Amino acid sequence: MSYILQGKKNEINRQSLIIDIFIWAFLILAALFILAPTIFMFTASLMPANDILKMPYRWIPKGLYLQNYWQGIRGNDGSFIYIRNILNSLIVASAVAATTVIFSALAGFGLAKYYFKGRTLVFMLIMATMMIPFEAIMIPLYLVTTKLGIQDSYAGLIAPFLVNAFGVFLMRQYFITFPDEILDAARIDGASELMIFRTIILPNSIPAMATLAILTFKAQWDNLLWPLLVVQSEEMKTIPLYIVKFMAEKHTDEGAMMAVAAIASIPILIVFFKLSKYFLGGAALYSSRKG
Amino acid sequence: MKKLFTIFLFVLLLSMTVNAAADIEITFWTHEDPNRTEIENRYIEEFEQANPGVTIKRVTSGSGQIQELLLTAFAANQGPDIFNMSIEDEYAYIVNERLAPVDFEAAGYPSLQAVYDAYISGVLDPATYKGQLYGLPLELTNWCIYLNKKAFKDVGLDPEKDYPKTWEEMVEVSEKIAVREGEILQRRGFDFRYPYYLVSTVPMVEQLGGQLISDDGKTAIVNDEAWLKFLKFMQEWGPSGKNLGSPTYTNARKLFNMDNNDIGMCLTGLYQQGRIRSDNPDFYNSGEWMVVPFPVFKNAVKDVPAAYYGHYYMVNGQKPKENQKVAWKFVAYMLSHPEEYLTKVNIVQPTVELMNSETYKSMPYSEVFTNDMAKGHIVYYGENSAKIQSHIREAIESVMLAGVSPEDALKTLKRKVQEVLDEG
Amino acid sequence: MSKRIPTYNIERKKARWGWIFVAPTLIFFSLFSFYPIFNALYTSLFKKKLLSLKPPDFIGLSNYIYLLKSPDFWNSMRATVVFTLGTFVPLLIFSLIFAIFIMSRKRFQNFFQIAYYSPAVLSSVVAAVIWLIIFDPRGLGNQWLNLIMNTPGIDHKWLANSVMVQMSTMLVYFWKYVGYFTIIFIVGLASIPHSIYEAAKIDGANDWKNFWYITLPLLKPTTILVSIISMLQCLRTFSTQYLFTQGGAPLAPINVITLNIYYTAIRDHRIGRASAMSIILFVIMLLFTWVQFKSSRADEISY
Repeated sequence: MSYILQGKKNEINRQSLIIDIFIWAFLILAALFILAPTIFMFTASLMPANDILKMPYRWIPKGLYLQNYWQGIRGNDGSFIYIRNILNSLIVASAVAATTVIFSALAGFGLAKYYFKGRTLVFMLIMATMMIPFEAIMIPLYLVTTKLGIQDSYAGLIAPFLVNAFGVFLMRQYFITFPDEILDAARIDGASELMIFRTIILPNSIPAMATLAILTFKAQWDNLLWPLLVVQSEEMKTIPLYIVKFMAEKHTDEGAMMAVAAIASIPILIVFFKLSKYFLGGAALYSSRKG
Repeated sequence: MKKLFTIFLFVLLLSMTVNAAADIEITFWTHEDPNRTEIENRYIEEFEQANPGVTIKRVTSGSGQIQELLLTAFAANQGPDIFNMSIEDEYAYIVNERLAPVDFEAAGYPSLQAVYDAYISGVLDPATYKGQLYGLPLELTNWCIYLNKKAFKDVGLDPEKDYPKTWEEMVEVSEKIAVREGEILQRRGFDFRYPYYLVSTVPMVEQLGGQLISDDGKTAIVNDEAWLKFLKFMQEWGPSGKNLGSPTYTNARKLFNMDNNDIGMCLTGLYQQGRIRSDNPDFYNSGEWMVVPFPVFKNAVKDVPAAYYGHYYMVNGQKPKENQKVAWKFVAYMLSHPEEYLTKVNIVQPTVELMNSETYKSMPYSEVFTNDMAKGHIVYYGENSAKIQSHIREAIESVMLAGVSPEDALKTLKRKVQEVLDEG
Repeated sequence: MSKRIPTYNIERKKARWGWIFVAPTLIFFSLFSFYPIFNALYTSLFKKKLLSLKPPDFIGLSNYIYLLKSPDFWNSMRATVVFTLGTFVPLLIFSLIFAIFIMSRKRFQNFFQIAYYSPAVLSSVVAAVIWLIIFDPRGLGNQWLNLIMNTPGIDHKWLANSVMVQMSTMLVYFWKYVGYFTIIFIVGLASIPHSIYEAAKIDGANDWKNFWYITLPLLKPTTILVSIISMLQCLRTFSTQYLFTQGGAPLAPINVITLNIYYTAIRDHRIGRASAMSIILFVIMLLFTWVQFKSSRADEISY
């Protein structure tokens, strides 16, 4: 009898071992595939352009060809304007992240915890804006921006993105599950709505706000189309514009191109790694609050 | 004393406001070209010194972006004072009356006719509309074939004698020079200047007897046989034919300067020399490159070289009159240095004086360019040239890359270009 | 009677606060979303060219009629639908699989999440530039595929062949966003309390039954969320196709609607027609979302 049980156990163990190995292999191969292009960018940025398109690709660069980085930062006109452009991206992305979090929290809170006539309609309307393709409104937006006189400025880069529907949605979802009892208790104690918002809601929503902030920051960092329209001078360009400009100028020098791309990516990769605990699934988002 | 002081202060303030009123800022948008940026920045300094109260702000953009930037700016009535683009892109601005006519007085000419006289006959026509002149040429460019002598010698050819004179020879020579790993081209012989089809490929069709638009401007795509021959040729050139090149490889002219043994020939203009010189002085000085005329089909009906195109400096008509005046004065100041534009940037301003100068004649291979330009004509420009070019691009790409038959591609092309013409 | 008035006042007060909280956002959307889309709707009824200083001609629905009869427009629809389906389906499936696999591991969960998510952090322009080099005939794309398929020297024409170029754009998009949706699924998975699984175990359920009858149904809201967001994102794709065509790829196979709108406005100056196209796209997106919502009530779920 025990032999049979042992046999069955072994079989199950072997089966689960095979499944185990399969899962590991799957995950590891997928990780390799997904990481490869980024690694490629970094290794290629350290090679002279001639080596990058050699067949087969030598993953380990022969030496540290830092001229690429020098060329990338210096720019083809030697003006080092890239540094200013990086700063612009940082300023714009941070500002948009900040305003989005505040406005989304306000609106999400209002939609989640307050019952007023037309609440559903307002929510639907806001969600509908997610469906408006940017290309549809880019020209009217541009006209609004120039009427306000804020083209080619930080204000012009930030204004259309002060808040977005996804942020409102995210915060609303988060607040819906926030226990009402705490809020009512605070009201009985005489706290005003604003105080409740500031002292109870906000401090307890850090994970959600951080997530939203990071996602928004990244989306703005990435934005090509709007800056393409609204920026008219070298100084106000953001990183994507600089890359596109650089690509047009020195399309062949893949090494310098990759260096420019690497420079654009390093800060955001660092921010991402440092703040990753905020939106890695599994623990952070839910365990801190749910009983 | 106090009264004197007050008067003094008042006069000081008054003078300041007067100066402030006289302060004019001119915005100047152009495409990037490091060599030209250098000299034009110097002209700006000199002009600002000679004209106190004027500041000029120069902004460069990639040549792919400037068209969009100018369009959106003008659509919001916020265009810059001065700008330049290729005439096919600029024409819409002329026709939509967005521009200020050339102020010949500010530009230093005694009369409008004097302006025309200073330039080679015909080159100012594309910028002339309803009797007014709207632009002054920054450059007039045509393209010829640059070849890398080393690539030729490498396959046992003598560049001086064996360079391709016909498109059929071009195919043969490119085949010899091509080096492949399997299907992948490691070294190409010649490759086309995708996607500038109006300038580089419409003349090829004209060599075969075809036309883009009929002479009366009403019919699109004339002479089907010529167009079919041309489309078949491009199909043969591409990956599904002899696999000599394709739009998806890196641009030939951008590889050429590097002299990296990956391209034999490219199609580009006189200005390329300046870029070779700055990108790769050793290659430039080695003499291992030369320029030959645009090839012609063996049984060509007409001898047509690549079309030439021009960039014209233009001035925004929606800016105040003062701005327009200063803008034209500055444009003329810049353009008063044709020899420097030629030697430092290698672009040709089609002034009578320059074309006859020693400087021009002594530029390497300038006579190849001059001869071809004399035989050629200006690129098709019209309000919808960008759209037409994109249709041509689609036709060529569909036969080269998508396996569409030349007959079908031609049918689609005809229909689409005709539609553009009819819609107006 | 006297009991009712205080509550009524509190409710009114609360309702007012609701409006106050929502107001700034609403004002913003009015100026930067609603006004422009109505403006676009208005413009779509005219024949307007961007550079023209003359007043535009009112042509009613002519732009729409033209588009619905235009093969070029239908090509864009095709390109968009193909891209959307070809991207969001694999995205959905693989991100779910990755999420489940990762959660089944006891270690390296964070490493995998970070690794898979990292491409989403890069800007689209950076991604396009990298992949343009990878898809170069001499680049990694051919090298790797030839290695795997043991076909040395074959050029798979990633950017040249019309079928391949569509797959290339889908591949780039997939690469960029699979990690993002994996994390969303992980969050969804993590929010399923362990107690349910324990109860099921007592009832004798095994892993497969667990997955099918507990996990999947409880993941429904997350799945819907992922579908809608990924589908909307795919319908709005622009940068990848734009940068690939700038880099030499043919336009027709990947001329998605957003790219078509852009070129119609910016290259052809036909802002009236471009606006009509945008309105059509907007309506399509509204429809898709509404259908998704209807066919499965999302929102909250209770255990």
